Amino acid sequence: MIRPAASRALRWWRQLQVMTVKELLQVARDTPLMLFFVFAFTVQIVMGGGRPGFELRNALLHVRDADNSAASRELASRFRPPYYVFHGAGGRPDAATRLLDRGDAMVVMDIPEGFERALAQGRPTAVQVQVDTTNSAVGLLAATYAQQIAADYATEIALARAGITAGELQSLPVIREEQRAWFNPNQDNRWFFSVGDMVMMVTLLTILLSTAALAREKERGTVEQLLVSPLSPLQILLPKVLAMTLVVVAGTMVSVFAVLGPVFSMPLQGSLPLFFTITAIYGFTSSGLGLFAATVTRNLSQAGLLAIFLFVPIILFSGIHTPDEGMPGWLHTIVLFNPMAHYIDATYSILLRGAGLDLVWDSVLAMALLGAAVFGFGVWRFRRQFE
Amino acid sequence: MGEAALVERVGGHGPGRPPPAEAEPARPVVRVRGFGKRYRGVPAVDGVDLEIRRGEIHGLIGPDGAGKSSLMKAIAGVLTFEAGSVEVFGVALDSEATCERVKSRLGFMPQGLGLNLYADLSVEENVDFFARLHLVPERALAERKAKLLAMTRLDRFRERPMKHLSGGMKQKLGLACTLIHEPELIVLDEPTTGVDAVSRREFWAILAELLQEKGITALVSTAYMDEAARFERASLLYSGRILAAGEPETIRRLVPGRVVALRSGDPVAAMARLKARFTQVEARGPWLNAFVAGADAAGARAAVSDALAGVPVENLNVMDPDLEDVFVALLQNRNAGGEERPAARAAAGGAPRGGIAIEALELTRDFGSFRAVDHASFRVPQGEIFGLLGANGAGKTTVIKMLTGIIRPSGGSGRVAGVEMRAAAREIKERIGYMSQAFSLYGDLTVLENIHLYAGIYGLGARATRARAEWVTGMAGLSGHEGDAAGSLPMGLRQRLALGCALVHRPQVLFLDEPTSGVDPIGRRRFWDILFALSREEGVAVLVTTHYMSEAEHCDHLALMYAGRIVADATPARMKLEVEAEAGCLLEVASGAPHRAVLALRRAGYAGAALFGTRVHVFSRDADGDLARIPPLLHSAGIEAVSVAPRRLSMEDVFVHRVSALETRDPAAPGGRP
Repeated sequence: MIRPAASRALRWWRQLQVMTVKELLQVARDTPLMLFFVFAFTVQIVMGGGRPGFELRNALLHVRDADNSAASRELASRFRPPYYVFHGAGGRPDAATRLLDRGDAMVVMDIPEGFERALAQGRPTAVQVQVDTTNSAVGLLAATYAQQIAADYATEIALARAGITAGELQSLPVIREEQRAWFNPNQDNRWFFSVGDMVMMVTLLTILLSTAALAREKERGTVEQLLVSPLSPLQILLPKVLAMTLVVVAGTMVSVFAVLGPVFSMPLQGSLPLFFTITAIYGFTSSGLGLFAATVTRNLSQAGLLAIFLFVPIILFSGIHTPDEGMPGWLHTIVLFNPMAHYIDATYSILLRGAGLDLVWDSVLAMALLGAAVFGFGVWRFRRQFE
Repeated sequence: MGEAALVERVGGHGPGRPPPAEAEPARPVVRVRGFGKRYRGVPAVDGVDLEIRRGEIHGLIGPDGAGKSSLMKAIAGVLTFEAGSVEVFGVALDSEATCERVKSRLGFMPQGLGLNLYADLSVEENVDFFARLHLVPERALAERKAKLLAMTRLDRFRERPMKHLSGGMKQKLGLACTLIHEPELIVLDEPTTGVDAVSRREFWAILAELLQEKGITALVSTAYMDEAARFERASLLYSGRILAAGEPETIRRLVPGRVVALRSGDPVAAMARLKARFTQVEARGPWLNAFVAGADAAGARAAVSDALAGVPVENLNVMDPDLEDVFVALLQNRNAGGEERPAARAAAGGAPRGGIAIEALELTRDFGSFRAVDHASFRVPQGEIFGLLGANGAGKTTVIKMLTGIIRPSGGSGRVAGVEMRAAAREIKERIGYMSQAFSLYGDLTVLENIHLYAGIYGLGARATRARAEWVTGMAGLSGHEGDAAGSLPMGLRQRLALGCALVHRPQVLFLDEPTSGVDPIGRRRFWDILFALSREEGVAVLVTTHYMSEAEHCDHLALMYAGRIVADATPARMKLEVEAEAGCLLEVASGAPHRAVLALRRAGYAGAALFGTRVHVFSRDADGDLARIPPLLHSAGIEAVSVAPRRLSMEDVFVHRVSALETRDPAAPGGRP
């Protein structure tokens, strides 16, 4: 059965093609999966984008005002929505502490007797601000804002005492800080969150779908049928990766064109073809991880569990919830091997910062190398797992 | 299936069988009227009536999906139903509360090996758990446990976790756990499915003994037709309806007729002639069997001779039909015409004939310290159907996997079409077909998509794909189902589609791993028809593994595997002759009190006497002498209405004899059977 090389290559392609079509058909026929898929790339991202971020919103403020003067009321009134909400006033000192203990108030402020008098006489005075910092980020913000409000009020009173009006302020040696917010001028959290959610869905679906695709074949015995046929391991595994990649690229297209643009009015700065290409490369890499999970386990439930074990650290150390910069050095090295970290980096760069390939090439290269290594291991493992 | 007229069954004029209980009780233990159960609107059981008398073993016989499990679960009070009434111990099961009232008096063992047991608990812990669940007092528990474990010969394995037991042992433990609270009725759902023939026989013997002793009533289901003889009364169930009910002998007589077995110098032509004339024709190795409805022995012989005028015929024998013949005939009568039998004939262009297609040379495979296959050697010439027979775990599947290149042998070699499979070159893979146990189809793809997928994998061009797709749909009888999802097809069609997919590239060598599990008798017969045509007309070599002993008769040649070794390698007929030469011929004893007859025969020195429903089977070295000796012997034991007749060995007899002999020689066999 000697065939010319050209026809053998043609045959190779045809085999790859029928296998890929088979994978796509199987995904398309899986109605619950398709529903979840549509949900994940649309509703999930809309909902996730609208969730609150780590900012100070509606912190419950309890005030114990022992001075009960114009100055003390003025200070308390400066704790305004949307940052603070007035919860209540008065009560004994231990009652206020109980409010904190029970989580009924987040900030408790004590204004001592003689507060106004001290200010009027030009003496320094103090107020006590107790903050619940269980959620450290938000707690820190509540404390910082409180400090700023108190300082601003004190500055105003000091200037008034010195007889300096607002107009005369210009002639004083003060430093004004001029801020420019780039890439997300309104500091709209939804932009950051929705892109992050999309990346997470891409990761979740590629890993789980490819794991399930191979584990199911093993469980139903169809994989043996394929092993006995004249297909190479590459021809069995590559179609799965190709199909899953196509599916998630389609998903990101839906997200970008139906959610990010119209719903969140994201400007989509960079080249979309570049973004989808990079998504395809990432799809290849993370489906490779899924195949790896399926080749080292025996059945669907084991493979599913392993996929989740892989998925959690990948998400946690991707920089999506925790900034890369804050990680200790050794973790930093590990993050280099996290394909999602590179993908999220490239995605923010392209979609929000308008970067081109000249800026993201290193992420792309890292993803491609990781993908080749993982997929190569999967192909190597595939044949051996039956031994 | 007795060959020749020498097996003029005693059943016809045998004694009427009174039930083992002394007096016929007025009220049956279970009474089912017009029972109906639907799943998502699709009826699974439809209008079934069933009555189980006190003290009997009642069989529910039918293929997968016939509705056996639904019916049994309803009787056990664990399944609600839509139509009809179910009455157990005179209590109508119409609410949760009434179900609870009968549950303490019955035992239920669901389908699946050890599914009701706890895998990580030991044998003893499992029994204890079920006993305490039923509030059995500790002293009674200790007594009953000792007895049940001794009878099931599990007492040596008290400490062993259930998951490390063999299939047969799991089922025996399941039985012990079902009986520990001494129920009056036990419901056993396919307790012998997936259990090897030796363990199966042992299970039946233990069951019969326990039930007899305690006067327990049992409802037992099975998918094996040849187990029907185990029951005192049986109901044949097919697609949710009862086809026939009564004593096995009575059912057998429902469709009068004879089976004619013959050999021919031109089997293909003979097969074609027979099929044109008779509705039930099948090939069993070199033998062709035809069922001649309504005829007596002479009439059947004449009808077949007439149909085969001009075709060379040898060894024409007339036999009584099997229950399976009857089952198929009943179905055919019901379906009036039934489905047409398409010819499996392929388009012209057969494969080369002659030569060795498959050769195993000292094939060995180790998994860790466990030797799954131990120096297995055999040869399969082109055009032969070769059967690899053995219990679960004997190594059959591992042999096939080595020969198809899925796993590598640890030692020895396998050659397929003259090429070493270890190298597993693509060219060789293109010439073999393989169908695995699980009917490896993509259930979410349609019939045509499955065929096209495999055509694409084997690199068929567009025109060849179309032609082969047509051939497969025709061969498998799938016309009209092309657009159906493969997973929604009934078992028989699914199996033939899997076969079609394995044949899409016209392989010269075909490997089939347990191809007929779960398929009904009609589907099984049709499947074997196709294999017959492939091997005879296209010269395809077929290697098939099976644990259905009755199927082994279809093979031209058999190899018997035990604990990884091939312990016998011959034609089916030769294997039977060898066993007869060693153990003597088989006698069947019919009597009014079969349970007592077994004991009497054993006492008289017939150690192998075993109960088959209402009959006793005995091996005899001196058939003529024993034929004369047994009736007076039983008469003197007070057992009446005795008749003894020789019976032809079945493949199961051969298997059990061979394996039992090996087990006594080598008790530490991997099966771990005590």
